Amino acid sequence: MEKTFKRDIGSLEKAFGFIDEFAAKEQIGNSVRRSVYLAVDELFTNMIKYHPANVNDITIVLEREADTMTITLIDRDVEPFDIREREDPNLSASLDERKPGGLGLYLTKNVVDHIEYKYHNRSSVITLTKKLRRDDV
Amino acid sequence: MFDIRMGDRGEVLLSGRFDAAQVDKAKAVFDRLVSTTAVDFKDLNYISSAGLGVLMATQKRLKDSGQELKLRNVSGHIRDVFTIARFDLIFDIK
Repeated sequence: MEKTFKRDIGSLEKAFGFIDEFAAKEQIGNSVRRSVYLAVDELFTNMIKYHPANVNDITIVLEREADTMTITLIDRDVEPFDIREREDPNLSASLDERKPGGLGLYLTKNVVDHIEYKYHNRSSVITLTKKLRRDDV
Repeated sequence: MFDIRMGDRGEVLLSGRFDAAQVDKAKAVFDRLVSTTAVDFKDLNYISSAGLGVLMATQKRLKDSGQELKLRNVSGHIRDVFTIARFDLIFDIK
């Protein structure tokens, strides 16, 4: 399933609805669904944050293989931004030293099994893979 | 649908989905807190880093005056996210 969303924080609700629709169709359980919410939320929000003036919509593609689910986000006419190269936040730091930056991408890395990044024709394509266990579906 | 309101015992009650689109609504309540306050997560079913950021900023502000947020009724997805973010190091969580 593929759907394109306006580059606006208000689109998150619609993106969640799209995930719900896919999860219902593919009989994907709540645990995986919440991981997908989180990954899409964090990446979509990041795309808006780093290219706020971009007028292009953001495309989300959800696919299911036998025991995996893939989530792809496509952002057009942007500078490259490979989330795999972002440094993880220091989570052992004291409260005063902790910064919120980087936490969203760190959460994303922790709720999926694999991340791929491709950049071509000024488009960022991030593909996340989530393995489905027997009790996830 | 996200909602935030004060409970009868002065606790903050959260419900629904706390994502980046809800930050302003949440901050309107958290920014008014001046003393140690429990935050009840019983009816919250989702939180993202934007929500964690609001909790962290409030905790920093309150700790500066010897007060704090106490996170209560944390389970499921919310507990998983708190665990990944190592919130156990900076919050009293039950």
